[in-house]
Amino acid sequence: MKRWIGVGLALLLGAAVVAAIVVGNRGGGTETREPTVVRGVIGSEKKPFFDDQRVRAVFTRHGLRVEVDTAGSRQIVDSVDLKKYGFAFPSSAPAAEKIKRDQGATRTFAPFSSPMAIATFEPIVGVLTKAGVVRDSGQGYQVLDVRKYLDLVGKGTRWDKLPGNTAYPARKRVLLTTTDIRASNSAAMYLAIAGYVANGDDVVTSNAQVSKVAETVAPLFLDQGYSETSTEAPFEDYLSLGIGKTPMVMVYEAQYASRLFAGDGSIRPDMRLLYPSPTVLSKHTLVPFSAQGTEVGRLLEEDPELGRLAALYGFRTAHARAFDDLVAKAKAPLPTDLIDVVEPPDHDRLEGMITVIERLYRSGAAPSPTP
Amino acid sequence: MRRRAPAVRAGIPPVARVLGVLTLLVASAACGGADTPAPVDGPEVLRVLAGSEVKDLEPLLKRAQDAVGVRVTLSYAGTLDGADQVARGGADGRYDATWFSSNRYLSLIDGATARLSTQTKVMVSPVLLGLKASKARELGWDGRPVTWNDIAAAARARKFTFGMTSPAASNSGFSALVGVTAALSDAGEAVDKAQIDAATPKLKEFFSAQTLTAGSSGWLADAYAKQGAVDGLVNYESVLLGLNASGRLKEPLTLVYPTDGVVTADYPLTLLSSATPDKKELYGKLAAWLRRPEIQREIMTTTFRRPIVPEVRPDRRFGSASLVELPFPNRRSAADELIGVYLNQVRRPSRTLFVLDTSGSMKGDRIDALKQALTALSGADTTVSGTFSRFRNRETVTMIPFNTAPGTPQSFTLPERDPEPTLRQIRAYGEALRAGGGTAIFDSLRAAYARAESSAASGDFTSIVLMTDGDNTDGGSYDDFASYYGSLPVKFPAFVVLFGDSDVNEMKRVAQLTGGATFDARSGSLAAAFKEIRGYQ
Repeated sequence: MKRWIGVGLALLLGAAVVAAIVVGNRGGGTETREPTVVRGVIGSEKKPFFDDQRVRAVFTRHGLRVEVDTAGSRQIVDSVDLKKYGFAFPSSAPAAEKIKRDQGATRTFAPFSSPMAIATFEPIVGVLTKAGVVRDSGQGYQVLDVRKYLDLVGKGTRWDKLPGNTAYPARKRVLLTTTDIRASNSAAMYLAIAGYVANGDDVVTSNAQVSKVAETVAPLFLDQGYSETSTEAPFEDYLSLGIGKTPMVMVYEAQYASRLFAGDGSIRPDMRLLYPSPTVLSKHTLVPFSAQGTEVGRLLEEDPELGRLAALYGFRTAHARAFDDLVAKAKAPLPTDLIDVVEPPDHDRLEGMITVIERLYRSGAAPSPTP
Repeated sequence: MRRRAPAVRAGIPPVARVLGVLTLLVASAACGGADTPAPVDGPEVLRVLAGSEVKDLEPLLKRAQDAVGVRVTLSYAGTLDGADQVARGGADGRYDATWFSSNRYLSLIDGATARLSTQTKVMVSPVLLGLKASKARELGWDGRPVTWNDIAAAARARKFTFGMTSPAASNSGFSALVGVTAALSDAGEAVDKAQIDAATPKLKEFFSAQTLTAGSSGWLADAYAKQGAVDGLVNYESVLLGLNASGRLKEPLTLVYPTDGVVTADYPLTLLSSATPDKKELYGKLAAWLRRPEIQREIMTTTFRRPIVPEVRPDRRFGSASLVELPFPNRRSAADELIGVYLNQVRRPSRTLFVLDTSGSMKGDRIDALKQALTALSGADTTVSGTFSRFRNRETVTMIPFNTAPGTPQSFTLPERDPEPTLRQIRAYGEALRAGGGTAIFDSLRAAYARAESSAASGDFTSIVLMTDGDNTDGGSYDDFASYYGSLPVKFPAFVVLFGDSDVNEMKRVAQLTGGATFDARSGSLAAAFKEIRGYQ
């Protein structure tokens, strides 16, 4: 689903750019050559960035017109016909690694990243702090202790059963809302986090660990009931429908940050961003299949203007200043540095865990509860 | 289109006619099935397969043409019927997008998600209980917090009655069923088979108070507005607020927001994966336009749905309660189990009388179509919607074939379990029908009512289906029937199938008189019309 951050502003600026180009063309004669079209398949969360007229203008200056189709990271790996494209730009390093291997690509670019985070509300933070699940990191931001959270979920705890909870006495289970693990990268990143903790604070590296860990953490996904396929959908519910529908949702920090930077009022005073401890970085990684694809990757990594624009969309880039300046300007409660970041498993192990959970969905079996 | 009562059709705004009413009416006949002609196409046209719930947005959509250059044609289908079509690829190439009140059930069908591309939520509306103000006061539900358990307890004690759509035909009924089950099961997570079984006794109590059913939310609201016996409705908040604002109710509805949760419709405008790049672009334009703050505000004020963009906040009419969302099943088996339990065990049983034309003009294809329709309802239709349209456990089905005079009625009562032997008998009965003779429509209809009256007052959902392919040639006239009907102490709706060369005006009068509806099978299949009627029985 599309994101509509600062749509008004983007449209306005976009119109200005178009006008400038038109005027420029009229005045400047024929030296502007027709840009080369390069097609890419990307994770949907980056579509608004690529659609941004300012981003398009930078590519145009370099003789490129970038056309993108969106697909989930898993889809890009499994089912998309990559022959049609000059590059793939999934949302995670494991997916990119697999694509690189399958396609025999020689290199990758990782121009932006975003840590996994939890969008929630002040009353929930209060309740979970009392339950010992949320604490201060000592670094100016709050964290959700994943080990303690898994314990709580393992006991099948309902919100109204949490001691001293008068703020949110809902008769439903304490569960982070995620997207559908079978379709969406953000849920896979959450699986990487929960899997790390369930594996005794270690990255899953062996096949034996794959099934054991996957079965342990499967209820985090299965017990939620229906979940949506696109990361934007539950975040949108969080923003619009609030605490009743979505008390806490696993998001990319970029989703929340871009809203804060846009200053559009959608982040209301009682909204909070927590970081899971540990968390993982979603490393948006571009795999080029052609010379033009490589050029797109290079520009995304090196062009300062593109870096600045990516920061507006909430991504952290190699140009850390751009992000930090926006944080300062918006007085956004976001940390400059995160500690306690772990690596996701490699593609095959992560995929293996997803496959185990997928099988549990199909069988309808209730897996054993989380320890 | 899911509702075809004459009153409803007359109510289609002129805008809708401009909008490609041809599509609307034709597609309606066969529930948009594969036997309907493809909707009109053109470079500016976005062909949308939609639920009747979004019908009230037609005037707004008309303006999308001037605003963003997208001409929208809507073809209507029921929630499960539409889901079925999309999942099996029947929508590919015929439509560019879908717009149902929810994609949740559809997403549970194997392979369906691959047929869907971008989904854009446009608005939201929770499913709630609306109760007439005096009743809400009497029950003390107009001020204090109320749970589904409170509502179930009052239902068990028969302190109120309500109407709800069929979960097999309409999303509002399905959402309500999921919500009530989740709340009554006390589990806190998405319900599975074990929890559904455990909740079944409580569900029976709850639904013992359901005395009105329908195949679509709009028709249910119309039917409720016309009568006075039923105390309330389970429906979308938007429908309930709309009824209150319509001035059609003698007494306004008090909206009860259960504190243990609701299930909310989010109306995702969904691009089909099969759509061409041009259509994709039209879709993008329309989706962006619908989410502009000014359009969102307009949707809120004119259709009583809550806005989805955070920039626009719901106004005071929507109250200040924070609505807890109940978990929705994530397995097809659980969803199907729930609908099956509701139809075959939980709801009040149906009593259904079929008045079937077997006159000479039915010979050939027409009688074959009738046989096929009856076979489909006896378990032969194994599609998603077909499975839930079959004659249900505990239902009494009475066949009254007619030609020059009404034939001998034949009743079949399906047992609580193991319906197959009875279904086989019904199939055999249908197969044995032969065409010949004249057409005594009104004497036969009268015979059906006489039979229904004689066994009335059991609290079952009683309805009559009238199917004829021609004019009345024998026996009493429409006027004779109307005066007979006027004298009846208990009234039942007649659902009338327009077929062959039947007299459309007279058939519509029958539907209007009895509070039923007409279903058009002239350009679609008879089986599809029969199936659609099942939602109302």
